[in-house]
Amino acid sequence: MSIILSLLAQILHIGLMIAAAPTVAGGLDWLNARLSGRSGPPVLAPWRDLIRLSRKTPVTTESDSVVFHFAPAFGLGATLAAAALVPSFTLGMAFAPLADVLVIVSLLSVARVAATLAALDSGAALPGLAAQNASACAVLAEPALMLAVVALALIGGSFNIDLIIGQQRDGLLLPAAASAVDLTAMLALVLVEASATDGAREQMLSGMGLAVSRMTGWLRRLVWIDLIGGLFLPVGMATADSGPLAWLTGLGLWGVRLGAFILGLSAVQTMLGRVPNHSLLDLIGVATLLALLAIIMVLASAGTA
Amino acid sequence: MGVPGGDRQHVRSPNADRLPTPAGGDTLPAVSDPILLCLTVDAVALLLLGTFGAALPSARCAFVTAIASGVGALLCLPPLLLGAPATVLSLPAGPPGLALHLALDPLSAFFLFIVLLAGTALAAFQATTIPVPSPAQVRITASCLAGTAVSLLAADGVTLALGLGVVGGAVWLPGRGRPAVLLAPLLLLAAVCLLTPAGFAPRFDTIRAAPVDPDRATAAAVLTFAGFIAMTSAPFAERCWTRDTLTAGVVIPAGSYLLLRVMADLAGAATQTGCGFALLLAGGAIAIIQGWRAASHPDIDGSVIRLAQRQAGLATVGIGLALIARSADLPGAESFALAATFLFALGGSVAGVLTSLAVRSIGVSAGTLRLSRLGALVHAMPASSAALAAGLLGLSALPPGLGFASLWLLFQAILLAPRTGGLWFQLPVALIAAALALSAAVATAASVRLIGIALLGRPRTPRGAGALESKSASRTILLVLAAVSTLVGVLPGPTLWLLADPAIRGLTGAPQGARIGLTLLLPSVASPSYLALPVLALLALATGAAMLVPRWSRRESKAAGLWTDGMPPPDGLPFGDPAAQSVGEGFLPALPGLPHPSLELPRLELPRLELPRPGLPGVPSLWPPRPPSATAGLWLVLAAFGVLLLVLAVIG
Repeated sequence: MSIILSLLAQILHIGLMIAAAPTVAGGLDWLNARLSGRSGPPVLAPWRDLIRLSRKTPVTTESDSVVFHFAPAFGLGATLAAAALVPSFTLGMAFAPLADVLVIVSLLSVARVAATLAALDSGAALPGLAAQNASACAVLAEPALMLAVVALALIGGSFNIDLIIGQQRDGLLLPAAASAVDLTAMLALVLVEASATDGAREQMLSGMGLAVSRMTGWLRRLVWIDLIGGLFLPVGMATADSGPLAWLTGLGLWGVRLGAFILGLSAVQTMLGRVPNHSLLDLIGVATLLALLAIIMVLASAGTA
Repeated sequence: MGVPGGDRQHVRSPNADRLPTPAGGDTLPAVSDPILLCLTVDAVALLLLGTFGAALPSARCAFVTAIASGVGALLCLPPLLLGAPATVLSLPAGPPGLALHLALDPLSAFFLFIVLLAGTALAAFQATTIPVPSPAQVRITASCLAGTAVSLLAADGVTLALGLGVVGGAVWLPGRGRPAVLLAPLLLLAAVCLLTPAGFAPRFDTIRAAPVDPDRATAAAVLTFAGFIAMTSAPFAERCWTRDTLTAGVVIPAGSYLLLRVMADLAGAATQTGCGFALLLAGGAIAIIQGWRAASHPDIDGSVIRLAQRQAGLATVGIGLALIARSADLPGAESFALAATFLFALGGSVAGVLTSLAVRSIGVSAGTLRLSRLGALVHAMPASSAALAAGLLGLSALPPGLGFASLWLLFQAILLAPRTGGLWFQLPVALIAAALALSAAVATAASVRLIGIALLGRPRTPRGAGALESKSASRTILLVLAAVSTLVGVLPGPTLWLLADPAIRGLTGAPQGARIGLTLLLPSVASPSYLALPVLALLALATGAAMLVPRWSRRESKAAGLWTDGMPPPDGLPFGDPAAQSVGEGFLPALPGLPHPSLELPRLELPRLELPRPGLPGVPSLWPPRPPSATAGLWLVLAAFGVLLLVLAVIG
């Protein structure tokens, strides 16, 4: 019975993630506009974009290869796999044994690599330039994210995200100061993620390929939100065998978490503005140092305890 | 070499005595005796091929070398799979009073297997590739394999030095680089002699039987690491693809073996924790530096060999973590670190040889190895391109590649590492976590750069556009190696269980080594592990679902010609302006670059222009000419924040 429940929870989770990704993106755009004093686009505008793009005839270059055709789908697949592993409203889903934080982070890297290769395969100038800039940025951002999750794993004693979240929910993720520093690092990385633009990299895509690429970006942002929300604020998160009522409670609180996160993110973006490209590396450097500091605090506190 | 007349005897190492072999090795017939004898004959045959191979045509000599090496690799499998006990063969040869001894135990069998497997692939490629390599290159291969086999089978310092001498000569002579590699045999001989009790011959079983002085163990560790660096990182003046392939597939794994043999096996518990920390930091530095060089090197072969050298750094990190865990009596963490080391050695060997051979195919066909002159080879050479991509997946840190499995194991070892000793003992562990993460990201960037620039995009030269796929035999070798690399990455657990488990158990003394079904080691019964095969299945399932979506639209794509931002191709450049594509620069952030020794050019000394400074003439300014920026302020605040938190961490 518990296997069926965990499988059901997993399917529901994947469906919710797919449905929520464009909606959250639309909500964020709408909130950004409202906080800036404009009326803003409809919340469901990303859905309309997806439908509109899927009806367009894609334009491809003669020089592109099979990589160009399959990279957007591969990137979406890797991001979807990462999304399937990050819990949203419940723990103990069917894929929980696979939910290693290093695997999740690396799947996001795989998706970025796919997008970079597609951009380079087009042979065009601007996408190639954007791809190599994104790669240069990722050389520092991905270690920072990896360090942040390693710090959490050191605190929790495991790389499995379900176990880490379970400990956080029970208040066992100590020292809390290291956890807070780690949260700061991850928030800085989210700000980097929100400020980085994929426009130039997507220049060579059109039609359904562009729709898939945009969906990948939105899903990636949702994975980030879920990752941070689950790791640092797992309030009301149910377990797979706890029944429909607990699931409903978890779903409601997951919605509240999403709403609070996009509100906070849009407030920060409105107040501080988009981080300019030349400052992204500084912000990533800060996040790296904070994550490293969290690791040092964990290790040193364990040694003195 | 009087091999058949040598007397044989069984010797079990003290480490092995503590442990049962997985299949009950004590009750098995002594299969190691005839196998060691055959391996000795095999090494002699390879040495003869290396010495007198010029009498044969190159292709035939390479073919015989491949057969000899392949037979040797196959011979290593029974002792590994059956968990046979160690055995020693005394040769009636050598200096007076210092008879040569060979031994076959799980550790040497594992490394001999991967080295001979790499040698088989290289020699078979040499036998089938066009143009046929020169006789000297084939002889180098045979000599290097023979020397490596002898040094891996060596059971005393003299035999080890002889084997390494042959390797050094074979690798150094064609390139005439810095002669550091020739020092490696002497350094290793000195290290073994330091560990030997006074008055005894430098035999390994003598060293194991007597307690080792910690100071001598430290000195031996320093000498061994110096020899390791000399072997694996020595620069060469001339480009030689055979030597690069041998370095990636043979010399680097042999170097890792030497570190393990001297520090973890012979010195044993006498190796101090400081050695582990030193290895940790040195390995991390090597991994970052070589990864950085790989991501910025202008030539594709230079990038690939540096990615392989990065694996040597990561293997060193694994050995360092194993030594630290051993000093704290944590066999679980030691097992993880050793398993990571074995996987790095295996991955570096298989994927390193694969990428080097694929690069050779590409270079011959496209006429250049300069990254900025390659492009779009996936159209002209699909099999070689796929092989190169598979090899780079094994060398980078992306799931479900072999590199990621090894990295996962290293992070598990960090997770289980001892948390005692306070801040100063934990700081290197934290730094090494950062170094591993950075090295993984840099290696990924290097791999993406190589694939994206050399294989994808538009052709940059007519020669590149007209490149042809290599011969079917060479192509088959590349594809088989690619399949092996991918398979090992997807099934790291069974690979470790089949090949490395006896060696890991022998080194750690733990009752359970690196084994479990289709996964890697479990930290504990309740803790999940890395499941490479299910992760691959999930990735394939999600990608398949994502690929089904575009089919719903049923819209055929429309080709739009060369994408040159709306401009027609310039005259004389039918593939568009090469400068309009990325040439592989800018894949790394703008940090201080690491110089390439082969690329250093004399700098132009320009006359310095003295610009007038703002302010009153003759009055020294109390303030810098430009006020500190907001960024500097941010860094200062962060530094203060960091110091404050460090102080808090120190005082608990």
